Amino acid sequence: MADEWEEIRRLAADFQRAQFADTVQRLSERNCIEIITKLVQDKKLDVVHTLDGKEYITPAQISREIRDELYVHGGRINIVDLQQIINVDWVHVENRAGDIAKYDKGVQLVLGQLIDDSYLDRLAEEVNDKLQEAGLISIAELCKNYDLPGDVLNEELSKRLGKLIQGEMDEYNRGVIFTPAFVARHKARIRGLFSAITRPTPVSSVIAAFGFQEHLLYSVLEELVNTGRLKGSVVGGRQDKAVYIPDIYSKTQNAWVDAFLKQNGYLEFDALVRLGIPEPSSYIKKRFKSSKLLFLRAACVGQALVDQVEASVEEAVNSATWTDIQPILPSCLSVEDMGMLIAEAMRSTNVQSSARVLGDTVVVSEKFISNCLSLFDDAMQQKAQKEVKNNPVFLITEDDLKQASMLTESTSTSKKDKREAERKKKSTEGSGSVKSGGGGNAREIRIRKTKKKGRRDEDSDEETGPAQQNRSKQTAAPFMAQEDIVAVLEERVSDCPEEILCELAEHLVRPLNKAYQEVLRSVFLSSSSAPSRANKKQSMKDLQEEINSLYNNIRLFEKGTKFFSDETQVHIAKHVLKTVCSDVSNILVNFLAADLMMSVEDPSTFTPEVRVKILGKLSEDTRGPLMKLHNCLNGKTIEDFLTNIETCAEVCGFMLKKGDKKRERQALFLHRQALMEQLKETEDPALVLHLTSVLLFQGSTHCMLHAPGRCVPHVIGTLCGRIPAEQQQLVSAYQSLVVKQLVSQSQSRKQEEGEGEAAGEQEEEARSVRSQLLLLTPQLKDLTLSQRKTSTAED
Amino acid sequence: MADEATRRAASQVPLLKTHAGPRDRALWPARLKEEYQALIGSVEANKKSDSDWYRLESNADGTRWSGSCWFIHELLRYDFRLEFEIPVTYPVTAPEVAIPELDGKTAKMFRGGKICLTEHFAPLWARNAPRFGLAHLMTLGLAPWLAVEIPDLISKGLVVHRERQGDVAAAE
Repeated sequence: MADEWEEIRRLAADFQRAQFADTVQRLSERNCIEIITKLVQDKKLDVVHTLDGKEYITPAQISREIRDELYVHGGRINIVDLQQIINVDWVHVENRAGDIAKYDKGVQLVLGQLIDDSYLDRLAEEVNDKLQEAGLISIAELCKNYDLPGDVLNEELSKRLGKLIQGEMDEYNRGVIFTPAFVARHKARIRGLFSAITRPTPVSSVIAAFGFQEHLLYSVLEELVNTGRLKGSVVGGRQDKAVYIPDIYSKTQNAWVDAFLKQNGYLEFDALVRLGIPEPSSYIKKRFKSSKLLFLRAACVGQALVDQVEASVEEAVNSATWTDIQPILPSCLSVEDMGMLIAEAMRSTNVQSSARVLGDTVVVSEKFISNCLSLFDDAMQQKAQKEVKNNPVFLITEDDLKQASMLTESTSTSKKDKREAERKKKSTEGSGSVKSGGGGNAREIRIRKTKKKGRRDEDSDEETGPAQQNRSKQTAAPFMAQEDIVAVLEERVSDCPEEILCELAEHLVRPLNKAYQEVLRSVFLSSSSAPSRANKKQSMKDLQEEINSLYNNIRLFEKGTKFFSDETQVHIAKHVLKTVCSDVSNILVNFLAADLMMSVEDPSTFTPEVRVKILGKLSEDTRGPLMKLHNCLNGKTIEDFLTNIETCAEVCGFMLKKGDKKRERQALFLHRQALMEQLKETEDPALVLHLTSVLLFQGSTHCMLHAPGRCVPHVIGTLCGRIPAEQQQLVSAYQSLVVKQLVSQSQSRKQEEGEGEAAGEQEEEARSVRSQLLLLTPQLKDLTLSQRKTSTAED
Repeated sequence: MADEATRRAASQVPLLKTHAGPRDRALWPARLKEEYQALIGSVEANKKSDSDWYRLESNADGTRWSGSCWFIHELLRYDFRLEFEIPVTYPVTAPEVAIPELDGKTAKMFRGGKICLTEHFAPLWARNAPRFGLAHLMTLGLAPWLAVEIPDLISKGLVVHRERQGDVAAAE
């Protein structure tokens, strides 16, 4: 145990000794690095440590190594590679490399690469080989191949041109080196090619086709052209647009242009463009400076042609005819150009005021036009006379009222004499007024027509009359349609093309219309003022007679209504008011309107509105009663109307005579006659029934009846008991058949709209009804015809 | 846990064999002997590699140790006094090395200037007990601690070199 401790004590002593023993005097690696770092810091030592930190290297050694590496790498080495090889920080390598490049003339630093002269010499030799092979080499290509900047290459190569490189550089374009042989070859090709060219050729297309060097081509071409070896010129400089124009081409071109102008007297710009002259007008101006050419839009024209045109224009003006310029002008001139040319000619001959151009190319002298106008004088006079005779009317429109003096006229060209036309229209156009009023149905209208006059010979003219009147309300009355004018001109003026006539007619329409209206007015005034005094008296008489007869008819109709029940009476009265009474009042109004020059030929076309308008124009004392009359037309009783019409007639200066027996009978007879006439002609069962019933009514009661269609059942009802039983039966049987037919008709119409299943059946039924009706119609007609005998016998 | 450097450092220090604490009357001297031999080996190795960095001596029975250690930073040598006791449970428990001067200057230290070695060294020690001895404690425990802490403390200005202390005082 004690030994142990003894030993421990010894060990402790050893330990102390060991601890205090001197440390071995020795520099560790760490210390070495620290020392060197210190030395480098104090600038006492100039070394560079390698990247791995294991070695130190002096800058001189770096330079030496760089040179060695440069040599090893054939005179060209990248600094990045150097840095990796030498394994020193990039900055040191770059600095040393920079120093080497700076102090050594044979070495240079290009794009981070060290390059020495031997390398460049070798490069030049290589380039020379290539050049001799290809004849031409571009710096750009070399740049790409050797990965060197163009300016360096350019500089180095041009230093070696003539020594190492057998070739030359283009003066204009320093980017290319070529051999003299190449240039000579090129030149020869260019000379040959351009000598062969006979027409303008874009240089760019030549380059594309034959693979010339653009820069070389231009300089050679310029040289050749300047020395006169090539006869031609380059237009457009050294650009893509450059065009080579051989002299021979321009010579031929000029020759052609001269010849053409001499021969034809004009030049078409298009033709020149086709020849390859880009700006024809300036070209022409330059080429024909001395000669006077007239420039048009698409051509220019020589003096000869202009003279020709002027001559023909002058001739046309002087001889008061027309002339077509077109034949003497070249066909290629556009219409516009011809117009310009003609205008120019007219200006230079100073005939603008005495001629005009029609149809683009035809020059017509004003005299000729006025001659044409005078052709129409007679026709105009005649027409005006006729028109005034027929329709001394002013249409009443708002416009017309405003300019009351302006004459308008109806275009109705009735062949009948005035009165007859008027009478007829009273019936026929009366229906028109109802129609336009949107009132009753067709059947009604036709009945009334016959009732009134029994005239079936209505003229188509008359039917179109109101329509035309309506139209002419809008426009001033035309004298003749343009086509008519053309036709007349065609007759009178020989050998004129139709288009010209048309245009002439177009020109003439307005002056003619104006003249016509003048004429019309003068004729109207002359005819309506003095000479119509007698006429007026006559027409007054006629009018009075007419009003009287209508008045009596109305009275008789009124009497007829008394046979019916109140309700039916009202219906019939309304119908009478709407038709016959309206006619009467229209006649009255029209008569008054005539004083104001507003009358129309056909008063029955008045609608209530027109009537009111006219009434508004009338003088105070006549307006009142007529207004009342007008208002009672919408009333329910005929009595009112009768009293009103009496006062109105008085105001208007008409005498209303109450009919005596004889007159009454005459009226009855006329009425029946008219009805029977119509009955004979009609085939429509409903109409037959209507007429028959009315006739039967008249026969039995000796009263005239003017009833609307829907009152027919009532009429038949009142007939009951007044006529023999078999007639009664016949009538009622017929009536039921008519009703059936109407019903079936309306049904079938409905079915057409929708879809009918029982169509066949109903058709069957309708057919049987129709056949029965056909059977019965003659019987029914007989009824009245036989009655006529008896009734006439009674009369 | 034990990286390459640690392993190499540990391999240079001879390992111990006897498993005995100070209370073990019979075997403690043997252990102590081995400790001394290990320490001598370690110091000699340090001297050889020009990295001698501590002095140690113990009381008679080898339970209290004191000495000094130094650290060279930026060519300046910083000296620290150190002390520790052999715990009763030694060698299962590592001794707690204390550097009283640095007490309160760093967070990695217990009260009384005992350096905090729990994180890395304690598990290493636990794994290698009883073969690790005081030499290991110095090499693997204190040396790394100093290498980490001292530059930090210097940069913070908590530890100032002797020669400069006057300057700092003057400055203050």
